[in-house]
Amino acid sequence: MTHTGRESPPDLSIIVPLFNEEDNVRPLYEAITTVMEDQGFHYELLLVDDGSRDRTFANARDIALQDTRLRVVRFRRNYGQTPAMAAGIDHARGRILVTMDGDLQNDPADIPRLLSKIDEGYDIAVGWRMKRKEKFLSRRFPSMVANRIIARVTGVPIRDNGCSLKAYRASIIKHVPLYNEMHRFIPAVSSVAGPQIVEVGVNDRKRLHGQSKYGLSRIYKVVLDLTTIKTLLNLIRHPMRLFGSSAGIAMMLALLILLPQLYTFLVTESFSLIQTSLALLLATLGIFLGFLGALCELIYRTGNLKLERVSLLSATIDNGISRPRIDKTEI
Amino acid sequence: MSQVELSVIIPVGERSENVVTLYSIYRDAVARAGLHYEFIFVIDGHYDEITQRLKTLKADGEPLTIINFSRPFGEATAISAGFQNAKAELIMTLPAYEQIIPDEIPALIQACQAPEVDMVTASRRRKDHWFNQLQARMFNRTLGRFADFPFTDTGCGVRVFRRQVMDEVEIYGDLHRFLPLLAWQQGFQIQEIKVDQAPSDMFLRLFRPGLYLRRALDLLIAIFLSKFNKRPLRFFGLVGATATTVGLLGLAVLIFQRLVLAQSLADRPALLLCALVLVLGVQLVAIGLVGETIIFTHAREIKEYKIREIIN
Repeated sequence: MTHTGRESPPDLSIIVPLFNEEDNVRPLYEAITTVMEDQGFHYELLLVDDGSRDRTFANARDIALQDTRLRVVRFRRNYGQTPAMAAGIDHARGRILVTMDGDLQNDPADIPRLLSKIDEGYDIAVGWRMKRKEKFLSRRFPSMVANRIIARVTGVPIRDNGCSLKAYRASIIKHVPLYNEMHRFIPAVSSVAGPQIVEVGVNDRKRLHGQSKYGLSRIYKVVLDLTTIKTLLNLIRHPMRLFGSSAGIAMMLALLILLPQLYTFLVTESFSLIQTSLALLLATLGIFLGFLGALCELIYRTGNLKLERVSLLSATIDNGISRPRIDKTEI
Repeated sequence: MSQVELSVIIPVGERSENVVTLYSIYRDAVARAGLHYEFIFVIDGHYDEITQRLKTLKADGEPLTIINFSRPFGEATAISAGFQNAKAELIMTLPAYEQIIPDEIPALIQACQAPEVDMVTASRRRKDHWFNQLQARMFNRTLGRFADFPFTDTGCGVRVFRRQVMDEVEIYGDLHRFLPLLAWQQGFQIQEIKVDQAPSDMFLRLFRPGLYLRRALDLLIAIFLSKFNKRPLRFFGLVGATATTVGLLGLAVLIFQRLVLAQSLADRPALLLCALVLVLGVQLVAIGLVGETIIFTHAREIKEYKIREIIN
């Protein structure tokens, strides 16, 4: 066995978040190692132990002591899947990052096909479970609905957001904000950087060990998070527009009520206190929203998510010196 | 001189007992844990008599550090200042009056020496006035219910923790009360130990109304920080959306009355009220969005997780 973990950074980092998966650690390690060694990749496997209460960490550590290509990041307590993904992405050293589930439902044999898509010039290759092995009514149907909604709202037409098996160009994904429960929307969120996304059909296997950790209840959360993300993406692109336009509407309404009052006052020297107050209230709202818009501009300016920087990550540059990246068609 | 293994920080404020007897009681109890210890007294304000007595003790060769604030800065700042001057890996904070039976102290120290434990808090088996118990229980229950914090006596000032805890948890203002909560959010392992309350801790506590208000605000901040830390829209949005809905419904009723029942609209204060609630709702949602923008644009700096260790 060759140990090449320390000397030079690997080309490829495979990130797997684990939470109470003690029985799956070794099979997972073996499956990935087999595929990677077959293909001769210079890779690292990053296991993120999300505060498991069973022997997940101990099992992973035992393997890591013998194989330096395996790295284990252990959380202090359980934080959830998104922070685990974020930690993996932060600590990965590869040029290309692959994320997958720790429950062996993803097939490591699909990884080479995702990678070949990245080599073709795509920035994100998304796994798409073509033949899902779960119950239709409780799992597949809700997820179909959710995917349709997500695709419609975000404008990123992916058929399977729930599949964790994805490959990313590290330079892009390392700049994408990732918190709360955003791991389901990574392609949508990363659309701030305008990446080229491609879908790749992958295998779906039945769970062998351990318990599944999801249920129907997530639809509500998905919708809420989605609204937030959609608004944020718009807000980031045009900080002033959302607040500015709502401020405009409030102001227009105020004027609409105030002008007739003014006319009545000039003609009859009397006016409705209620209507005038209403108009002033709306005007105040307009001013308030306008200033909030300005505040958003300020926040964007001091933040570290800069569109002008992020946009370059996925751009093709043809300046006569460097070769432009391979032509590709958007999905 | 060998390495100091335990630093005991005692913030001295408004409520304090005779420091000489207090020190000898604490010292005897701490010594029983068998560690090499030091005591750090932080005098939060002008207590010249106490300072003098401590200086006499120090002159007698006791392992004391005395930090004198130029004006009262509050207990949290006092603890931080003590921590910055602490030499040991293990830190203990004790109040300047007996809160628990001193015999319990060695057990607390020993519990914190277990490898998986980062902090040990004491929980008093209370035997004092029912009103004390009631207000303490209300405080802790609220915290448990809304901040998902499973420990039962946040107000007890007796705590033992590793240096790393205060390296990572910043406390200021009145937040010393929430040190276990904040440490727990950072993923530190906390163990709570039931101890007997000291007799001198059992007097009836009736505070000024202002203090209750401040405590309630503290509680609100602690809950907000722990629940809606990264999702301000869930908090502001919920309240805002409710207000917006109420306002819109009210307006709908008024418009219905105007159009169908032909009641005059222009001179009804109800119209103003509905509009006011609606405006409030819109403002709250907008503020929630600003909060989300702050987090979204700074997300790469804010780490949501804490790592215990990395292998390879």
